[in-house]
Amino acid sequence: MTGQVSIRPDLIDNLERTWANLARPGARWTGAERLTIADEARRARKQRPPGATLPAAAIDAARLLAARPAAARRGWLEDLVAGGLDYERFVELVGVVSRLVAMDTFRHALGLPPEPLPEPVPGEPSGKVASQARRDRAWVPMVGAAGVTQALSLVPSENTELERFHGPMYLTFDQMSDPAFARGLTRPQMELVAARTSVVNECFY
Amino acid sequence: MTHTPLEVRAVADPTIDPLTPGGVALLAFVDAVLSGGDVASTAAAVRAELGAAGLVDAAAVIGNFQMMNRVADGTGIPVGRGSRIRNAALIDQLGLDRFDHTDEENTHP
Repeated sequence: MTGQVSIRPDLIDNLERTWANLARPGARWTGAERLTIADEARRARKQRPPGATLPAAAIDAARLLAARPAAARRGWLEDLVAGGLDYERFVELVGVVSRLVAMDTFRHALGLPPEPLPEPVPGEPSGKVASQARRDRAWVPMVGAAGVTQALSLVPSENTELERFHGPMYLTFDQMSDPAFARGLTRPQMELVAARTSVVNECFY
Repeated sequence: MTHTPLEVRAVADPTIDPLTPGGVALLAFVDAVLSGGDVASTAAAVRAELGAAGLVDAAAVIGNFQMMNRVADGTGIPVGRGSRIRNAALIDQLGLDRFDHTDEENTHP
């Protein structure tokens, strides 16, 4: 029945743009590698074994963040870095996995089948990272004060994608200061859904 | 400010009525989507109470926080002291401290 639901055009545009972005070269991973990360995330959520075409540390990171994010710990990340997954690749991986799970969840909630992963766009990673990022109170280096709006700022393209995705799905960072904002849900209804999602995920945020 | 009532304890205990319109249906929908429940029937209940646009927005908000939870958990965003002080009562009321892993060091999740 939910297949008959009409989806807002801005939301469709957001999903299509984000889906295409997954297949493009990022800052430190190629398009093919980003899609392999996405596939590994899906395998973990379906409790299927690893595809084993990524470095072991990347497989570990993608699988845990996709299926058991609340189990992430500082020492776990430090072990991954010691195992050869540098912070820049890790932050890009967080972006890929988190948006993949978000889009899969949205479709599942509306009774739609998972979207097949796209074909990778050829090309080399850009190498564009924020050299001024520093590791302070968060686990990964960030630009400026550690906070959720800066969480992926070590890899600026990933932070940009997060912010673009966030607006149509929930609220833009500016709209978040407006308690009267409403679309299909009122702001209190949106916050109820958001908070319950975080509780089920055992996430403080 | 809006004056729509919201019983925040319902966030941690879905047996409590959240008071906001459609709140009970929304909580059941979130739980079904994230915990392998009956998505079709809970989605139908949301749609019946809040319309198709409400259902789509609920699905989108769940998706967005699936992303944000992973970003926060993966990057170890610290919970600021000011935020803790401002929201102390709410954190205590909902028992949220059990979810703050940012200062834990253990390496074997």
